[in-house]
Amino acid sequence: MDEVLSSVAETIKNFAVIYLVDISEVPDFNTMYELYDPSTVMFFFRNKHIMIDLGTGNNNKINWALKDKQEFIDIVETVYRGARKGRGLVIAPKDYSTKYRY
Amino acid sequence: MEEDIDGDIEDIEALNYDDLDNVSKLQKSQRFTDIMQKVEAALQNGSDISNHGMVLEDDPEYQLIVDCNVLSVDIENEIVIIHNFIRDKYRLKFPELESLVHHPIDYARVVKKIGNEMDLTLVDLEGLLPSAIIMVVSVTASTTSGKPLPEDVLQKTIDACDRALALDAAKKKVLDFVESRMSYIAPNLSAIVGSAVAAKLMGTAGGLSALAKMPACNVQLLGAKKKNLAGFSTATSQFRVGYLEQTEIFQSTPPPLRMRACRLLAAKSTLAARVDSTRGDPSGTAGRSFREEIHKKIEKWQEPPPAKQPKPLPVPDSEPKKKRGGRRLRKMKERYAVTDMRKLANRMLFGVPEESSLGDGLGEGYGMLGQAGSGKLRVSVGQSKLAAKVAKRFKEKSYGSSGATSGLTSSLAFTPVQGIELSNPQAHAHQLGGGTQSTYFSETGTFSKIKKT
Repeated sequence: MDEVLSSVAETIKNFAVIYLVDISEVPDFNTMYELYDPSTVMFFFRNKHIMIDLGTGNNNKINWALKDKQEFIDIVETVYRGARKGRGLVIAPKDYSTKYRY
Repeated sequence: MEEDIDGDIEDIEALNYDDLDNVSKLQKSQRFTDIMQKVEAALQNGSDISNHGMVLEDDPEYQLIVDCNVLSVDIENEIVIIHNFIRDKYRLKFPELESLVHHPIDYARVVKKIGNEMDLTLVDLEGLLPSAIIMVVSVTASTTSGKPLPEDVLQKTIDACDRALALDAAKKKVLDFVESRMSYIAPNLSAIVGSAVAAKLMGTAGGLSALAKMPACNVQLLGAKKKNLAGFSTATSQFRVGYLEQTEIFQSTPPPLRMRACRLLAAKSTLAARVDSTRGDPSGTAGRSFREEIHKKIEKWQEPPPAKQPKPLPVPDSEPKKKRGGRRLRKMKERYAVTDMRKLANRMLFGVPEESSLGDGLGEGYGMLGQAGSGKLRVSVGQSKLAAKVAKRFKEKSYGSSGATSGLTSSLAFTPVQGIELSNPQAHAHQLGGGTQSTYFSETGTFSKIKKT
């Protein structure tokens, strides 16, 4: 996931900034956001947490590693569009409910 | 150019002449022999660089060079005349040869080699012509309609060929001489294209001032070989370059850039020729700086394009979508516009219950659709706004028919209450005038008259 994030950072720098946080160094938000997985991606717009309907049941975060750069860019763009309009919940372009079944 | 005019006039009576001397006078003329002698002497002496101090026009060598230029043009014209003579005589023997071999000197050589021979397998044309053309010539000769020439005509023809070749040799000498003096006459031009090509250009143009007066596009084409033989493919024919093809700059550019390089060369060499004709820069520095410019430009063309930078994505929704308009879009939107049927179904009359699909108020309501008094059960596809405008203008042209309705409407309407109802076609037109119904939403309504208060 880190490689995807670093390669995408330049492309989306006009509307999104990526912060990488080590939860072992900054454990202050672990209980608030339930950060227990190896990798978690959460979206914030103007100090508001934006929820995404990914189909997995957990709308608050992406807690698996995405492989595809373009998918990630699409999710970020959707979040940006919805958040700009004032929506608190946006619908992801791709459904991840079957992500464990290949 | 007296020789030319005489030659032309005599060409008209060409069929009558018999002797070459009537036509070709240049070789016997005094002027020719004088200049040739001087040229040979000068060639043997080598170049004299010591006459830099003299004003150019007084220099006898410069005068000689100017004469040489004029002479070379004259020689060329003379060669053409002799070529015509040879061709006319040889036509009886081998008429197709003139269309196969275009160049006059090549033609003369071939005629001399073939002579009166009827069987071309005994004649060896190697080295005179390219092998493809030798093949065509041999094939054509086997089926030619010509007959062997009489002895005296043959002798005259061979003489004429010799004359043409001698003139060609003389022209070569003259060109060699001019070339050796080139860096003195036109230093800038020879700095760019080299002295050999510069001499050829000057020779063909007929002098330095003539060359300077030519536009660059003509300079590019000086010395270009034209005319491919009939039947040979034009796919191999080179693009339009003349003597400039032989310059070092041209030969050293890669083939895809050659056309551009040729144009550039022609432009700069024309400029250099103009500088030289006015003796603006006798040392040749302008020519060398032109050459530098040309080299730099050609190198710039060969640079690889700048590497592609990955561009970041633009902010989503920051650029408003380009909305198009116009007739085409309006027509496309009409397909999705609200139809008249739907409009009628959306509205209701006051105090009149509407019918519904499942009856008794259940299901979809039909509104004014199918109500008695609205005049229609079947609503035809209504006129679009565009058609309404057109129809209005049509009416205003007063073609006589008043308020024609669409041909698809039926004047019969079946209603549950009153049975068959005949609709009054005029009623629809007068619905506006009723005053009980709003004209706000009407499509065919016009502006109401606004009275001045």
